[in-house]
Formats: sequence, C-alpha cells, structure tokens
Amino acid sequence: MKESAKTQNKIWGKHKALKGLAIAVAAELLLLAAVVFVLDPFYQYHAPWLGLQQTLFDRETQMAGSIRNLSYDSVLLGSSMVENCDSTYLDARYNCHTLKIIKASGSVADLLYYLGLAHNEQELTYIFWGLDLSALTASNAVTLPDVYSPSYLFTEMPFDDLPYLFNKDVLLEKIPLMLAYSYTGINTGGAAYDWSDGKNFSAAKAMEDYQKPEEPLPEQPIADKIPVIEENIRMVLEEISTHPETNYRIFFPPYSMMMWDYRYTSGTAEELFYALEQILPALLTCENVEVYYFQSDVDIICNLDNYMDKNHYSPSINQYMLECMAAGEYRVTEENMDEVLSGMREVYEYIITEGIYKYYD
Amino acid sequence: MLFNSVIFILLFLPLSLIGWYGLQRFTDPRYARLFLVGMSLWFYGYYNPWYLALLGGSVLCNQCFSKLFTCCSTRTGRRWVLGTGLVFNLGLLFYFKYFNFFINNCNFFLHTDLQVEKIALPLGISFFTFQQVSFLVDRYREDAPCYGFLEYACFVTYFPQLVAGPIVLHSEFIPQLRERKNRTPYAEQFFDGAALFILGLGKKVLLADVLAIMVNTVFDDIAIIPYYLDAPTGILAILFYMLELYFDFSGYCDMARGIAAMFGFILPVNFHSPLKAESVQDFWRRWHITLSRFLTTYIYIPLGGNRKGKFFQCLNLFIVFIASGFWHGANWTFVVFGILHGTAIVLEALFPILQKGPRHLKQFITMLFFMMTLILFRSDSLTTAFIYFRRMFTVGWSGYLTRFATHLQIPENYAVIKLLQLRFPQYLTPFYLICMGILLFVALLFIRGREAEEWIREKACTLRGILCLATVFTWSFISLSQVSTFLYFNF
Repeated sequence: MKESAKTQNKIWGKHKALKGLAIAVAAELLLLAAVVFVLDPFYQYHAPWLGLQQTLFDRETQMAGSIRNLSYDSVLLGSSMVENCDSTYLDARYNCHTLKIIKASGSVADLLYYLGLAHNEQELTYIFWGLDLSALTASNAVTLPDVYSPSYLFTEMPFDDLPYLFNKDVLLEKIPLMLAYSYTGINTGGAAYDWSDGKNFSAAKAMEDYQKPEEPLPEQPIADKIPVIEENIRMVLEEISTHPETNYRIFFPPYSMMMWDYRYTSGTAEELFYALEQILPALLTCENVEVYYFQSDVDIICNLDNYMDKNHYSPSINQYMLECMAAGEYRVTEENMDEVLSGMREVYEYIITEGIYKYYD
Repeated sequence: MLFNSVIFILLFLPLSLIGWYGLQRFTDPRYARLFLVGMSLWFYGYYNPWYLALLGGSVLCNQCFSKLFTCCSTRTGRRWVLGTGLVFNLGLLFYFKYFNFFINNCNFFLHTDLQVEKIALPLGISFFTFQQVSFLVDRYREDAPCYGFLEYACFVTYFPQLVAGPIVLHSEFIPQLRERKNRTPYAEQFFDGAALFILGLGKKVLLADVLAIMVNTVFDDIAIIPYYLDAPTGILAILFYMLELYFDFSGYCDMARGIAAMFGFILPVNFHSPLKAESVQDFWRRWHITLSRFLTTYIYIPLGGNRKGKFFQCLNLFIVFIASGFWHGANWTFVVFGILHGTAIVLEALFPILQKGPRHLKQFITMLFFMMTLILFRSDSLTTAFIYFRRMFTVGWSGYLTRFATHLQIPENYAVIKLLQLRFPQYLTPFYLICMGILLFVALLFIRGREAEEWIREKACTLRGILCLATVFTWSFISLSQVSTFLYFNF
C-alpha cells in the first residue's frame, strides 16, 4: 500500500511525464472509442452485437445508421403521424421485415433522401408511406444534415466520426438508454420510435393546441405554392417509376377536424385540396401503387378524444389504419376517386360550419 | 475558432506546432513568423472571414503610424501621429462597439429618431485595440522601436492572446519572438504548457459551461417571469455566475498561456486567485491583471496618479474604473458596475480602516461586493438588474429554487435522473439539490485551492498527476460535442 502511494507520488522528469501524458490520453480516448464502436447506439458501424436488441429511440441520430446497417426488406415511411404504427403487424400481414423511416414534419424531399439511402442498401419489397398533405406543400429542398442530424451520420468516412466516438452525450446518455431499452424491450421491434407513452389523448388535451379565432382570414392565393406542390408530386412519381419492383402502399393519415378548421381560419385550406386533387389521380396511374385515404372518416377526425393536438392521434388509430389497409378498406381506385375527393370537400364544409362547434362555441 | 473545439485540438494546434517548429530549421526566422501570422489569421477568421479585413487593416495602419514616428523628429509631429493613431484605434473601437449604444442614447435623451443597423461586434476588438494603443503610446514615448512588419503582425495577431487576452505588451512578446532558444521545443516548457492548457480546458468545459446552464435559466426567466425569483435563488444564481465568470475567463487565460508555452512564449499572468482578495483594490490586482495594468499605465498615471494629492488620486481612480466598466461593454449596466467599483476603491483609499479586520472576513466581504455588482454585469439592462436586486432582498419563498435546481441536467447525472423519474420520482428534487450542492462544493474547492501553475509545479509530474491530467483532458474532450463560446470574447 505504502509502496503504491510512493509510486504514485514519485516525481517524473518532464520528458517522461510528457510521454506518459500522451500515452494516458491516447489510452483513455481509445477505450472510450472502443466502447462506442462496440455498442454503437446510432448503428453507424454495425447491427447490435453482444446479444443486444435492436432499439430505435432517437430518430434524428439513429435513422441514417439504421438504414445502412440493419437488415430489412420493406420500410414504413412518414412523419410522426406514422411513428406509432406497429411495424411487426405489417411484417406478419405482408410477410416482410419492415424498418421505420421517420422524419419530423416528413417533407417529401427529406423522406426521399432517406429512401434513397435505403434503396442503396436493400431491394425493397414494400414501402408503406404515410403521406402528409402538408409534406406536399413543403419545400422541395433536402434539409439533411441538420443541427439534430449532424453530417457524420450520413458519411462513411471514419475521420468525421470523431464527434460520435468521443461524445459525452453518446457515452452517458445514449448508451445507457440503449442498454436499458434493450433490456426492458422498450422501443424495440414494432414499438420502435414509439412516442405515445405518457401522452394524454383526449378532447381537453387536444383543444389546448388550438385557439379558434373569431374571424377567419380570407383564403390565400395558392399560385406561389403550385410549383412547389407540383415538384413534390413529380419527385414522388419519379421515385415510384424508378422502382417498379417495389410495392407502394401510400396512405393519407387522418388529421383532426381542428387541423381542417385551422386551415380554414388561416386561409390555407385550398393548397391542401390542390395537393390532394393533383396527387391522387397521379398515383393511381402507377401500377405498383395502392392508395388509402383516411382523412375524411368523420368518426375518427371529428372525435377529438382520439387526439393529443391538431394532428396527432392515438396508437389505436395507427393500428386501425394498418388493419384497414391489410383488409383493402379505404382504398382509392380510379372508380371511386372523384367520390373520395368530393367527400373530403363535404367533410370540410361540415367541419367549418357545424362539426367544430360541438367543441368550440 | 475556439480553443475548446475538436478542430482546434486535433487539427489546428498540432498543425501550428509542427509548422512553427518545423520552419525554425530555416536560418531565416521569417518563414516561421509568416506561418504563425497565417495560422493566427485562420484562427481569427474561422467563423467570419470578414473580420480579417478589420484586423489586417488595423495592423497595417498601426504599423504605418509606427513608421511615421521614425520619420517625425519634432515633438509636435510625434504628438500629431499619436493623436491620429489614437483617434484611428479608438474610433474603430467606438464604431464597432459603442456606436449603436451612442445612437440609442441620443434617441432616448435627445428625442431624436436616428436609425442605424445593428453593428456586429468583431471578436476581441477591445483586446487588440488596447494592445496597439499601448504600442503607439510607447512609440511616442520612445520606449518602443519600430519593429518590422512581420514581427509586429506576429505580436498583434498571435492567436493564443488575440481574442480574449491577456493584453500582452510588445516589450513582453517581441523579445521572446527573437529569442533563439525559443526556436526549439523543450520538453519542460511543452509539458507545463500542455498541462496548463488541459486544466484551463477543464475549468471552461467541465465547470463554467455547467454553471452557465443554471445561470442562464435564471436570467432568461427573469425577463419573462420576474416575480418567480426569490432571495435564496437570487443569491445562489449570482454566486454561480461569479464562479462561471471566473472559471470561464481564467480557464481561457490558462489555455492561452498553456498554448503559448507550447510555442515557447510566456504570456503574462492574468489571474492570481482573485476570489481570495481582501479588498476591492486587492481584487483588481488579481482579476484581469493585464487590463488593470493597461489602465494604470495608460490612463491613471498620465492623469497624474497619486502625485497630485488625495482628491486627484480619488478622481483618477474613479475615472479608471468608469473606463474599465465601459470597456466591458456598451451598456449602462457596465458603466454602473464601473462606478460601484470606482466608489469602493475611492472609499478604501480615503478610509484605510476599511481594509482592516480578520482576513477571512475581508475576503468574504470583498467577494460579496463583487458578487452583488455582477448582477449589473450579467443583466441586459438596468431595469433587469433593478428587478433582480429587488427580488433578492424581498423576503419570501416562491419555490423557484427547486425549478432552478432541476435545470442541472447534464450527461453525468442523466442515468440517475432517468432511473428516479421511472422508479422514485419523489427523490428527484432532492437529487437535483444534491447535484447542485456538489457542483457548488467542487467549484468553491477550486476557488479556494491551489492555482493551476502551482499544482502543475508540485503534482503534475507524478503518476497520479498525469492520470489526473489525462482524465480531465478526456472528460473535457468528450464534452466538446456541444460547443460554447467564451464570455470575454464580447469585451
């Protein structure tokens, strides 16, 4: 004991001390990098090792790595609107192995960027795409990498991985979380990226998100939006046409009637209708596409107990959509397309003149 | 570029050191100096290359003024050169740092409606302006020779001290630049420099940045919900700010001095345990020493110092502290900060009895005074500072302390917080309070403990010291994923 204390306090020459410092720093850094490399919470290098489960809990940082290194043959694509879908249900019904590819707000350009990465890695059998109408009106530019998804996630150069390998957040937050989730089974399998835990879905909660103005604004002209919408639709169609071997199941998730009323009062509903009326007929011309439309189901969208805000619904709605798609319900065909489009207009009229007033005086 | 960034540590610093010592192999030292200037410009222009035009223009013009001193043989001519040089340097500083403030005050006091765009403050402008002003004054006094352009550019742009000091004098830097022995790396100086850099990095990243999380919460909140702030939280928050400011600035200076030592230069000490000061006067001899030195040499003494009697001594001291306050920022809060410190110094000069008493009591009172004046230093307006003071001296308990504590969410306590949230939520608040207590304890321990250089001299060359340094470096390095900036960049 005394001997060890003596060794620890023995004064070294500066030359030796400098070498010792360099060696100690290198050893500590290498050890930490090895821990990150082996456990790899962002799946930058490999699928889980050491018997750990595949846990997906941080879409911004895990998405690119999981697309590159996990095994799958189908994807569930979309925004937070589809994030709570149980992908194992799709696996069972379509006999596939599905990976969730999610981007907050889910603009077409960003989702196609991720989808491009997936096409580079896998032959995709199915793409289940929860297409938001607002995504069709969003910018055509890819926003990745961004502040939440740094560039090193998207490259395979080892040098730019330094902020990942030597990162306190990764070591002390992401790795413990990953281990805990893997051990408890949270955020694994079909529950990947599930954000519904602890959320309150009720009319009271949903209504906190929307203060209905007394007077609506006049409807805004959509001329500026038309080129953006058309470019987004062109990009969607190009994706579909360049992958004829892939089956696309495109579905339109049901926003609450508050969202439609908000669009009415802010004078921006017409751009959504324009996007819808352009994309539906375009999609139906593609042979490898099936389209499902849930946005006009009054039982869902006019019951605010299904929601936590203007847009986001409870996981039971996610499951309901998957079951309906598997059963072929809510499907849009060339025969019923006009009916679907006019039906949405009628539901919209009902919401702004009557439906919304059941909750707002 | 920041010292506490991955690119600086892994690329810029090694590259600069290799280039600097590599180019010393040439007998002509100009290659190495040119390289050093080039690297310094890269460092300075990393975030905004437009700043380079300002820095380059300033260096070039001041070199011209220096040459003009050589050409002028008459005293009047030299006065003209000095006057023009001072107007140029202080004019630049005024334009970039004080012009918006000046216009706002004109509009307020004279009821005018002058409109100007917000002028961005270039990094470290106050530091390199003061450095060059001191050089011009010394040239005027014939205390400085006319250096070659490259030497002068090396002196002003030398990156370790460029953006946040210490304010180095030409007489300290250029002789070292010319020294032949500084052209080869010595293990002794290199190790001491590396150790000082690591300790500075630790102060900044592991202490100042964590304390900042807490402090920013309070000062962000007070602008929106002032009535939440209660006395205990107010006291703790400003105590945390004092510690943050100390670790931030002294950490920067340690890093600057450490880097300079790796290049073979010794920069002046800027901190000498300031929170152990026994009077306000003593405090300013220990805190930002090179600024105090500048103000003493170039304002206090030319005004007459203490040579013209007590009244003028007090007046001169007061002027120096108003200048010091104003130097820190273009805001009335800094002016009042300077006035308060000036008043305290004047009172100490007039009543020496104030400096008597038990050492610990004097230290405590000085620290308390500094801490209280920091409310002005940190507030973005006199109104905010006034609200802060009022809330701090209002008896009451709003429970804000617990909200304050819950902001101490750092990766180091993340796993425990998550566990408590899931299993024992009732222990979450006590846990945050304990974390806050630990942070405060550790910070105070460092304040009261040995200075970095003393520790390096005595302990760093042992196995324990080396492991400690390596761990501080590793811990700091993995904390760099969230990069912050230094508080004193804005001054």
